Amino acid sequence: MSLTLNLDFQYTTTVEKLWTAITDPSKLAKWVMENNFKPEVGYQFQFRQKPTEYWDGIVEGEVLIVDEPNKLSYTWGTGAEKHTVVWTLQDLGDGKVNLHLEQTGISNPQALNGAKYGWTSMGGELEKLLAQ
Amino acid sequence: MSDNHQLRDVFDAIADPTRRRLIQLLSEAEELPLHELTSQFEMGRTAVSKHLTILKEAGLIIDRKVGRETRFKLNAAPLQEIQDWVGFYSKFWSTNMLRLNQLLLEEEEE
Repeated sequence: MSLTLNLDFQYTTTVEKLWTAITDPSKLAKWVMENNFKPEVGYQFQFRQKPTEYWDGIVEGEVLIVDEPNKLSYTWGTGAEKHTVVWTLQDLGDGKVNLHLEQTGISNPQALNGAKYGWTSMGGELEKLLAQ
Repeated sequence: MSDNHQLRDVFDAIADPTRRRLIQLLSEAEELPLHELTSQFEMGRTAVSKHLTILKEAGLIIDRKVGRETRFKLNAAPLQEIQDWVGFYSKFWSTNMLRLNQLLLEEEEE
């Protein structure tokens, strides 16, 4: 049995800028990890960061869907976990863009709750940041 | 992964609802003998004993003989491994999404 995580975030930006932020390797390095990502279907990439006691620091994936600037999907494999990530971008008007994350294939409730907890607490932080 | 010398993976040990209930019961008491634990379940003492053995192999419980009975006590330390592992997922996503927001804000200012 696998689990799915669905989450939404709103950013004050344009769909094009958000698309670049989630597909350009130099931009991804600033908010995810060092990588050799390319938005090309079938391309195999790696995200890497310094290993910790609990994680070798490597994420391996393959690009599945590139529908610029609306949808991007890739596999996301690290350790025993093999997930599929789908990012969906939607223009909300008034300079706001919704970023939806769907992450499928999560193997157990602990991983799902961990991710959900992180995103939810982050939602509050994001709101504070935008209100400044 | 962490270097541990337990006979059994702590994630495996907590995968079963009976064993999670046993951990909970033991967390509420200093120590308990088998018959007091068994009375909480609709299963025989042999079945409860088997679950206790699995918890013991994962380092989650310690037992000692007092006269003719065996008493069980919780050792919560191995649960830290679960805490750390879940913490990784939580921290990973929260940190990244904040960074994405910061990146987009910086680009706006340029």
